[in-house]
Amino acid sequence: MQSDPVDTDRLQEFETRIARGEKIEPGDWMPDEYRRQLIRMISQHAHSEVVGMLPEGAWITRAPNLRRKMVLMAKVQDEAGHGQYLYHAAETLGISREEMLAALLNGRAKYSSIFNYPTLTWADVAWIGWLVDGAAIKNQTMLAHCSYGPYSRAMVRICAEETFHYKQGKEMIVHYMSSGTPKQKAMVQDGLNRWWWPMLMMFGPHDTDSPNSPLLIRWGIKTKSNDTLRQEFINEEVPELLALGLTIPDPQLAFNEASGSWEIGPINWDEFWQVVRGNGPMNAERLAARQQAHDNGLWVREAVAAYAAKQQA
Amino acid sequence: MDTQWPRYEVFKQDSPHKAHEAVGSVHAPDAEMALLQARDVFVRRPSAVSLWVVPETAVFAITAEEIAANPVPPLPPIATHAQTYLVFTKTSQRRSMTFVRHVGEIVAATPQIALQLAMESGRFNEDAVFVWWLVPESAITRSEPGDIDSLFTPAHDKTYRQQSYYGFVSPTRNRK
Ligand SMILES: [Fe+2]
Ligand SMILES: [Fe+2]
Repeated sequence: MQSDPVDTDRLQEFETRIARGEKIEPGDWMPDEYRRQLIRMISQHAHSEVVGMLPEGAWITRAPNLRRKMVLMAKVQDEAGHGQYLYHAAETLGISREEMLAALLNGRAKYSSIFNYPTLTWADVAWIGWLVDGAAIKNQTMLAHCSYGPYSRAMVRICAEETFHYKQGKEMIVHYMSSGTPKQKAMVQDGLNRWWWPMLMMFGPHDTDSPNSPLLIRWGIKTKSNDTLRQEFINEEVPELLALGLTIPDPQLAFNEASGSWEIGPINWDEFWQVVRGNGPMNAERLAARQQAHDNGLWVREAVAAYAAKQQA
Repeated sequence: MDTQWPRYEVFKQDSPHKAHEAVGSVHAPDAEMALLQARDVFVRRPSAVSLWVVPETAVFAITAEEIAANPVPPLPPIATHAQTYLVFTKTSQRRSMTFVRHVGEIVAATPQIALQLAMESGRFNEDAVFVWWLVPESAITRSEPGDIDSLFTPAHDKTYRQQSYYGFVSPTRNRK
């Protein structure tokens, strides 16, 4: 990977620092591949926060009461902030915010496949909080230990806020399942039927199909594999879902006494790759909505710039 | 025609007795709007009592690794008149630790000289510093104590933003 003898020494020193638990900071030497992988991961992560506002934002005007509406607005504002924390972290690696936004709008950049599914009912807002934010927290808690200082700090800040997202969603599901009408309970079950599998896909391909993982783990960017995180999440959430009387849409789901784990049936990876490649149910709508927001915001950016210019004059 | 604005580094103070800490950056056309952006991005929850913003170009940043690789910082061609630099350091590898914190002031003609003086002064525990930032005081725009009510106090009333508001939510463990 590195043939220059100077770089070999530096690479060794770099890996020693990581092994000692030190954070790599902007200005410190790092292998090009470390920088490249981080820019890829952090910018995708930032885009996911930004696009992630859309499925839930669609329900702000239709929230069932004022309290739920304020909670949902606060959550969507948080996601906007998370995008900002992460764009900042990526910028410290030498990519500009403008380049990242351009890549998102022209469709070159990726973001989490989960946000290309539609939010059909109010229960979907609750499921996104419990399962989607819950899965994100698993991943982000791991990334808070990341060897790159700015990414790690962004994750610490984000995880503290995500716990609110998870709890408000779970609180809603528990409420509807324990004191809701039959119609509300059916709406909740329908949401679980649609979100369960896409949520499991959020953790990414199986370890055997994630070629980047060994390097990411060696350099302390990730500390756990996709399958490990997915299984931890399944084990934590399945008993909670079943205790509410919900049916998990997986006929093969079974508890393995020997391993102490809930084992699931096969994940439909064809669907996952279709969505990643842009053919999910909402890919085109999401990008069109981002483009529209960007275009509609132009006059605001122009006005703000004009004001600043006037203040200087 | 539609380009990004300059970047401002943001420093947040959580209580009057704590140091300002670097928390990230925002883009804005001027310092006044950077301060407003910083409030929306970094202070959606309690607590903050003060924010500073500094144009990224005014920050002289250097890591211990860079100092070790190049022990004598290049001296400036001509020393102009001295000014006050704020010194910020990162001294911990703990993951929850914020990046660089404000630890004091140094008067010098350039940031490089300010760094040398700071390292020689013995005031900043220089052997334990991983990252130094030197920022000319004149480049800082600060929120005013009079801004606290409008910028920071409203976050206290939005209790539903706090995870503690929801208590312990678990259908399998003891319901409360
Ligand atoms: Fe988020
Ligand atoms: Fe979230």
